[in-house]
Amino acid sequence: MSKVIVVKGLDANGQRISSKNFEELVQKAFAKSSRLKLETYGQHNVGGRLKNGGKKVEIEISGPCGQRLGCMGMPGTTIVCDGPASDDVGYLNIGAEITVKGDATNGACNAMAEGKVYIGGSIGARGLTMTKWNPEHQRPELWVLGSVGDTFAEFNCGGIGVICGIEAKNPKNILGYRPCVGMVGGWLFYRGKNDGSYDKKSVMAVLPDDAQWAWLMERMPAYLKKIGRTRLLKKLSVRKEWMMLISIPPQDRALMFSGPMPMAEFKHKIWNPGFGGGDPIRDLAPGLDRSPIGMIETGDLRRRQPFWANRDKAAPCAYYCPVHIPTIDRLRLFREGKGDEAYKMLLDYTPLPASVCGYVCPNLCMQNCSRQLVDEKIDVQMLGRASRDAKAPKPAKSLGKKVAIIGGGPAGMNAAWQLAKAGVEAHIFERDQQLGGKLAQVIPWERLPKAIWDSEIQRFLSMSNIKANFGVAMTKEKFAELKKKYDHVIVAVGTHQPRTIPFPGHERVVPALDFLKSAKSAKPMKVGKQVVIIGAGNVGCDVACEAYRLGAQQVTLVDIQKPLAFGKEKAAAEALGAKFQWPVQTKEVTAEGLIDAAGQLIPAQTVIISIGDVPALKFLPDTVEVITVGGAGWIKCDGAGRTSDPKISAIGDVERPGLATNALGAGKKTAEAILAGFKGEEWKDFSLQLIPQASLTAAHYTPEPCSGSSEAAEAERCMSCGTCRDCHLCETICPTQAISREKLDGKNYRYVSDPDKCIACGFCSDTCPCGIWVMRPF
Amino acid sequence: MVSVRSITNTPSSLTPNDLPWIIEHNEERCTLCGQCAAVCPVSTLKLAYMRKRMPHLVLSATERGSAYKTFVGIRQSTEIGKRCIGCGSCSLVCPNEAIQPVQNPGRDRFRFVNNQLGEPAKRGGRRNVPGASLLDRIIFDRISMLTDPALDAGRHEFSCNTLLGRVLPPEEYVRRKLAGEWIPPVREIFPFVIGSMSFGALSPNMWLGLLQGVAYCNEVLGIPVVMATGEGGCPPWVLRSPFLKYIILQIASGYFGWDEIIRAIPEMQCDPAAIEIKYGQGAKPGDGGLLMWFKVSKLIARLRGVPEGVDLPSPPVHQTLYSIEESVMKMIQTMSMAWNFRVPVYPKISGSTSAKSVLNNLVRNPYAGALMIDGIDGGTGAAYNISMDATGHPIAANVRECYLDLCAQGKQNEIPIFAAGGVGKNGNVTQNGMALIMLGASGVHMGKFIMQSAAGCLGTESNRCNVCNIGLCPKGITSQNPKLYRRLDPDQVAQRVAETFMSIRTEMKKIMAPLGRSQSLPIGMSDALGIDDKDVAERLNIRYVC
Repeated sequence: MSKVIVVKGLDANGQRISSKNFEELVQKAFAKSSRLKLETYGQHNVGGRLKNGGKKVEIEISGPCGQRLGCMGMPGTTIVCDGPASDDVGYLNIGAEITVKGDATNGACNAMAEGKVYIGGSIGARGLTMTKWNPEHQRPELWVLGSVGDTFAEFNCGGIGVICGIEAKNPKNILGYRPCVGMVGGWLFYRGKNDGSYDKKSVMAVLPDDAQWAWLMERMPAYLKKIGRTRLLKKLSVRKEWMMLISIPPQDRALMFSGPMPMAEFKHKIWNPGFGGGDPIRDLAPGLDRSPIGMIETGDLRRRQPFWANRDKAAPCAYYCPVHIPTIDRLRLFREGKGDEAYKMLLDYTPLPASVCGYVCPNLCMQNCSRQLVDEKIDVQMLGRASRDAKAPKPAKSLGKKVAIIGGGPAGMNAAWQLAKAGVEAHIFERDQQLGGKLAQVIPWERLPKAIWDSEIQRFLSMSNIKANFGVAMTKEKFAELKKKYDHVIVAVGTHQPRTIPFPGHERVVPALDFLKSAKSAKPMKVGKQVVIIGAGNVGCDVACEAYRLGAQQVTLVDIQKPLAFGKEKAAAEALGAKFQWPVQTKEVTAEGLIDAAGQLIPAQTVIISIGDVPALKFLPDTVEVITVGGAGWIKCDGAGRTSDPKISAIGDVERPGLATNALGAGKKTAEAILAGFKGEEWKDFSLQLIPQASLTAAHYTPEPCSGSSEAAEAERCMSCGTCRDCHLCETICPTQAISREKLDGKNYRYVSDPDKCIACGFCSDTCPCGIWVMRPF
Repeated sequence: MVSVRSITNTPSSLTPNDLPWIIEHNEERCTLCGQCAAVCPVSTLKLAYMRKRMPHLVLSATERGSAYKTFVGIRQSTEIGKRCIGCGSCSLVCPNEAIQPVQNPGRDRFRFVNNQLGEPAKRGGRRNVPGASLLDRIIFDRISMLTDPALDAGRHEFSCNTLLGRVLPPEEYVRRKLAGEWIPPVREIFPFVIGSMSFGALSPNMWLGLLQGVAYCNEVLGIPVVMATGEGGCPPWVLRSPFLKYIILQIASGYFGWDEIIRAIPEMQCDPAAIEIKYGQGAKPGDGGLLMWFKVSKLIARLRGVPEGVDLPSPPVHQTLYSIEESVMKMIQTMSMAWNFRVPVYPKISGSTSAKSVLNNLVRNPYAGALMIDGIDGGTGAAYNISMDATGHPIAANVRECYLDLCAQGKQNEIPIFAAGGVGKNGNVTQNGMALIMLGASGVHMGKFIMQSAAGCLGTESNRCNVCNIGLCPKGITSQNPKLYRRLDPDQVAQRVAETFMSIRTEMKKIMAPLGRSQSLPIGMSDALGIDDKDVAERLNIRYVC
């Protein structure tokens, strides 16, 4: 044992030695002895940094102690301070054992990493903060007999604190306010009351387990001996009086503090009871289900739904055809190998498929054919011609009714045809000696082959219910008689009174109607080398062609406006060399030709006027209302041809001028309306909407050069707008297998979508080649 | 061959290239599961079939011709009404990361044609001005470095709350207290308030989810958050619940839902937090509220006392008010009296150069509890683009002017100013809010931010989604269709509200600690603000820093 060396804190003059000089004195003394008695006088940082190769160093402190007693204390050093100590006892201590017999103020053990600090009283604020613990060394320890001040053990990492609660400065709260903020390691033993303000995110209060209790009790006697209070051992050995605060490992903290209270618990305990224990809007919306759903749902939670809207919309062919012939159905029959049915079906709509569909009609059906989205429209003329040899249908059972039809043109013919088919006697009264009206009288045979025409007329007349009377000139008296004798009278006399203009020399002008009739007769009239046709419509073009046929060398069509001629007629006239000239206003017609408003002569030996024809209606009774348009009277009627006289209908050009197909359509409609009347049924017009072409999927079809057209090829090319092709593509594309094909009775079927599988992606609708599947909101 | 008729576009047709959002679909990765098309709120997505021509181009071959191949892809509709809104719901549900909307990088012609049938474009959201806002650029530059007691945001305790209501000068308070006279009601609230969004503008799941979160903040977290109802009333059960104290009831020119509120007054368990009288809104000043018919469901109609499926405009003006004085008289007195002068009542106005006049009238009115000013960057569920984009006054200068005016009168601690309009526009909610507070606001309101933070609102300043007005919100935040709003789990909204306010509180401390402030909100502490723009610094009377 070396000799105790005393180092005084006051110099010979009784003046305080500075901390720096005192430290030098201490280090000098320490070089001689490892046992020092320091009579401090407020010197700071005393007692540390004394390394003695592992040997014991004993420091005794007496006198007023400065701050940071035992700062950077080394292992092996024992410091005993007789009285109280100032701030930061054991600051950065790495092994010294420091005993303070009295109180210590703030900051005890700040950043201490090893060693022990024994306090015989209480300590101030911020004790045991930011301690460290290196696992290769002992944990730092702070023992306090009384209480600790506020913000104790902040960021404590490894230190063990023991707070005994004896003679505490604040017996009501021996841990001070808000201890353990940010404490991540170490233990605190405490005995006595506290305010519960410890940081509950960092530490939790537990009872010491056996090992911890043993740890405490093992060391307690030594502590008490150091501070000279051994008699307290018994009092401090009551296990139930001790509690601990231990740090919560981060993993546990994550689990414990997903929130101070799980939301489910909050909902159950606080939220729902706030509304009398139920949904807060149950009174506003009884039964409203607000429970969470997914982004993709089936059944009633879908925002839209697919519908298999088969035949809900009209294909363009059926829609635009004045007779509404469903060409798509004809082609479907071909696809199904039922060609005969297809031919027959056409005869349900028109008695003149080969002549009109096949030759004369501009084929409105095809002008909007959807196939044009892929390549070229369906060849409907070929289909019309193919029906040439189909047999007339058998009429239905007689209804015991008779209808008189005045005029055997296309309108009257189809009315008669439809009525006859349905079991009504149709009596046609025709002024001419042949049926067909202008079709037969004025359309050049070049455009409507005679053989085909004749065979269709023959088929028409083969219908047993049709009786045709020729050479009947209609008069008021005759009409009244017919009206009396027949159940209904249809006026279909067309327009056979040429329209003329009373310019000088108008008597030199030949009406087109007369010219065409003559041209088609056995003895056609002669034409000059130069021909001028006033009026450059399609009839004018027919006139031009006929004029060329009859020997004309130059035909000029003049018009006051841009010529209305189009299509086959115009092409034919132009091919023969016809010239169109406009605007030309006729001032006069002389033997030299036509003189226009400017005085220019267009030389012509023959001048023909082709500005339309008007009806000749002198025979009509007064009960039929007539409206005057453009100086001529036309019969006023509704969509079904019904006039102001309930027994009289009017169809065809007498109502308004149109195509032969318009006349056929009007005939069919009127016949159906009359039949509905006979049967006491309500007549329904064709009312389907046109299918939007965007709903079709044209990319399924491969473009092909026109095959020269056979029924089978056209049937394959048809896109079946609005009518299911039974192609199963919807079934195939449906990502959830919701779509299936269901067999109905006979050959019928439908496709259905299972709401429990469908997610309403709309792929069926996007895929369907025919536009059948539609998505509707619901 | 390819038919000419297969091209249906005309020179005036729009193509995806002309639209604000372009769908990018990776055909290689697509599994054709249909989920994108099923989820798309505007049904713009469709399975498109396309045909490819592959001509045989072998020089020596004698046979000529082409083969065709059909291929599929997900494509967008170019119809104006079905245009892609960029919400990205398709990406959300795609199992293969095969689809996403991409913003048109500048070829967008849509804005020139979005005024169909004579009706100008409307949307929800905010003024579309991407990039850092002025509030984003304000920094807190007065840091306590050894000069003041250092504060630790994580360790120290902070008082982050503010006061809503008329604060009497101390001598007046003492005098009244001693004399037993009326003392104006004052609430201690968290300075970040969930701004007025009506039950109707928001779906039931969103509105109730927010309230649940607010209740959680108060009752579990101890953060005294309040939310304003907006003008759509309040469900009767909520009016009679203990959570009413967290609610600022709004009254506006449409008076929607007020019959239910008045009916419930005798049965209320507690008073509401405050009453907000709406005179204007930052997003569409001079334009009233508008709940479009898409959103007036049976439930909303019932709550508001109106027919189902009709447009519900709140007029821009209160029909019977013709002056500030009259309005203050009629509205503030009526509302104060309704709860026996126990509830703070304050008006909300659009940011405007006339805000100071309103403020000075309120200063003279003994019942006025605060002034709420909503700046041009405020959000809305439905407004004409023109109102949203071009009408209004930015909040910063407006608040600053008003506050300095109060300072000049020595009244700055007496009548709190609340600010809103773009708070959290770019996610910097605490920074923006604290900047406004330090410019002089006592607190801030936020609407769009909380929708983005708590419910995953997809709206951005690049006009992503922003279809709050037509009831098609893909997240179910602003839809009244249960098929949409049931996508939103109110418990999750509440959870996110709690998380949001916990983090705002922490961020507030992170701003306050370096300033050396912990025990009171730094209202008007403008010496701690700086901005790298000399003109702004001069206008706001804060420090120019660079």
